[in-house]
Amino acid sequence: MSVRLPSLWLALLVVAAVPDALSQDIAPVLRPAGSDARSAAAVPDFSGVWAHPYFPGFEPPASGPGPILNRSRRADGVGNPNQFVGDYTNPILKPQAAEVVRRHGEISLAGGTYPTPSNQCWPSGVPYIFFQHGMQMLQLPDRIVFLYLRNHEFRLVRLNQPHPAAVVPSWYGDSVGHYENDALVIDTVGVKTDRPFAMLDMYGTPFSAALHVVERYRLIDYADARPAIERNSKENIRFGPAIQSLVFDPSYRGKHLQLAFTVDDDGVFTTPWNATITYSVPLGSWEEHVCAESRLGYFSTGKEAAVPIADKPDF
Amino acid sequence: MARTWTFAAVSAAALLSLSALAQQESQGTASLPDFSGVWGNPYLYGIEPPLSGPGPVVNKSRRPQTHDADGRRVTATNPPLVSSAIRLVGDYSNPILNPAAAEVVRKHAEMSLAGLGYPSPRNQCWPEGVPFIFTNSAVLLLQQPGRITMLYDEDHEVRHVRMNAPHPAQVTPSWYGDSVGHYDGDTLVIDTVGFKLGPFSAVDQFGTPFSQALHVTERYRLIDDEAARAAWDRGGRENSRNGLGIGEGWAPDPAYKGKGLQLQFTVEDKEVFTTPWSATKTYRRAFRDWPEQVCAENPHKYGTEKDAAVPTAIQPDF
Repeated sequence: MSVRLPSLWLALLVVAAVPDALSQDIAPVLRPAGSDARSAAAVPDFSGVWAHPYFPGFEPPASGPGPILNRSRRADGVGNPNQFVGDYTNPILKPQAAEVVRRHGEISLAGGTYPTPSNQCWPSGVPYIFFQHGMQMLQLPDRIVFLYLRNHEFRLVRLNQPHPAAVVPSWYGDSVGHYENDALVIDTVGVKTDRPFAMLDMYGTPFSAALHVVERYRLIDYADARPAIERNSKENIRFGPAIQSLVFDPSYRGKHLQLAFTVDDDGVFTTPWNATITYSVPLGSWEEHVCAESRLGYFSTGKEAAVPIADKPDF
Repeated sequence: MARTWTFAAVSAAALLSLSALAQQESQGTASLPDFSGVWGNPYLYGIEPPLSGPGPVVNKSRRPQTHDADGRRVTATNPPLVSSAIRLVGDYSNPILNPAAAEVVRKHAEMSLAGLGYPSPRNQCWPEGVPFIFTNSAVLLLQQPGRITMLYDEDHEVRHVRMNAPHPAQVTPSWYGDSVGHYDGDTLVIDTVGFKLGPFSAVDQFGTPFSQALHVTERYRLIDDEAARAAWDRGGRENSRNGLGIGEGWAPDPAYKGKGLQLQFTVEDKEVFTTPWSATKTYRRAFRDWPEQVCAENPHKYGTEKDAAVPTAIQPDF
């Protein structure tokens, strides 16, 4: 089993062991943003393939305001992945947003499926995209690149830069980040609202132009990850033994990567709320998964969503 | 890969192993070229015919070039006649095509001449595959230990290349194929086989088909500014300028006089082509940062006269 070491120790070992030529190869990935020696020593190593084998929602926090959960439960009490009935009574929702969530839940209760970014092959946006089961983080000197397993989605984060004075709304928003000791902190604003299927989770929870998401990524020991994993297991179903090309290792006890995120949107929510996504290290390989192929048709109700049709070609 | 490093670091013996691995991987890396940063090409679709030898299918439908690479209006009395962006009439008489392939290209051309659009991976939001994906205007080439990740500007397409590894004995066909690479001096060489034949499969915008025998070799290297400009001059006699004004499209940074990135690629497919053929695509530093371009939004249309028949997903994923 692999064990993740503190990056500084690892970096020292690598420097001691490898010729200059190879360290040139490594440098673009491990070198931190900017030329600041202080941050260089502190850059944690988040590289590799990470898996989050749960569906469909976010991990509720240990305490405080949390995300929308599923009112439809299986016999064992876990959220029903075949019926998305968002809890519109969650006090984080303003009345208008609660009504949107309630209407989506009614469609699901009636046995229907409603269109979402993930079943219509549109970009997921943030924080919706955190549902993805596979993620890779590429740490470049001036950027972070997130690769997500499904439908070749990726996000780019500029390091050590401010948001522009006037942000042009985009699908994944304007993301800037920096390292804060052992954590990578990413701040995202400017997520496009005038788009089809604008929602921030699979329950249809809306968002406005005021959406502000802060992500904090940190490596943690299994013992520290376990409470969030157990909370999640009571809320979301766990895939097993594999989903898509990633095979989950239930005996993995090495370092976990935890994303703790805060969502703030005074156009929709009464208060900021928090959730986590706890990633483990999978077996298996990173393969292509193309939404348009529709070969990932799990958890469908068996009824088709209203699939929109492009009304004109690009060329 | 990081887990490989980490595992290697936990013992002294592993240090030796790491050193051995380093030596293995460092073959030819003493002058490892740095391809990092955003690379762009302002031409539609930016594929440059070779200086000599068999080249790609080009467009029989031409129009006068209106702007140069920098976005300045072309003032020559007789500007070069370049590929029409809105009428894609592949030259089915190109001797690289075997008769069956030529007929496929001819049928696509006839649709275009009749004022009809035809579906392609690009206008139907499907993975473009290789070499079609080279028609993207920009690339981010991320050099990591053991692999190369390539990001393209249209619709978030991503390719993964395993470094210093062979193809598997049995390749599972995939949209972008199985790509392996190595450094050959100052050049990154990528070899790709194992492509999936899917809807709208084509190697270019003209509907040129491919078979499971498709084999693409890419060679990336840095070239000086003068050579890059010369390649763009050559490309500008074939391709129309994409985004017409100064600073529009993937216009070059006027202040940048450094290296360009040139892709030279060779395509072989004995089921389709009578001979291997080659082409180049030359990139320079872009004027702007990486944008989002989402195919489903249709924001980058080029005015095909009639709509292609757009297929719809037959079932939801969730």
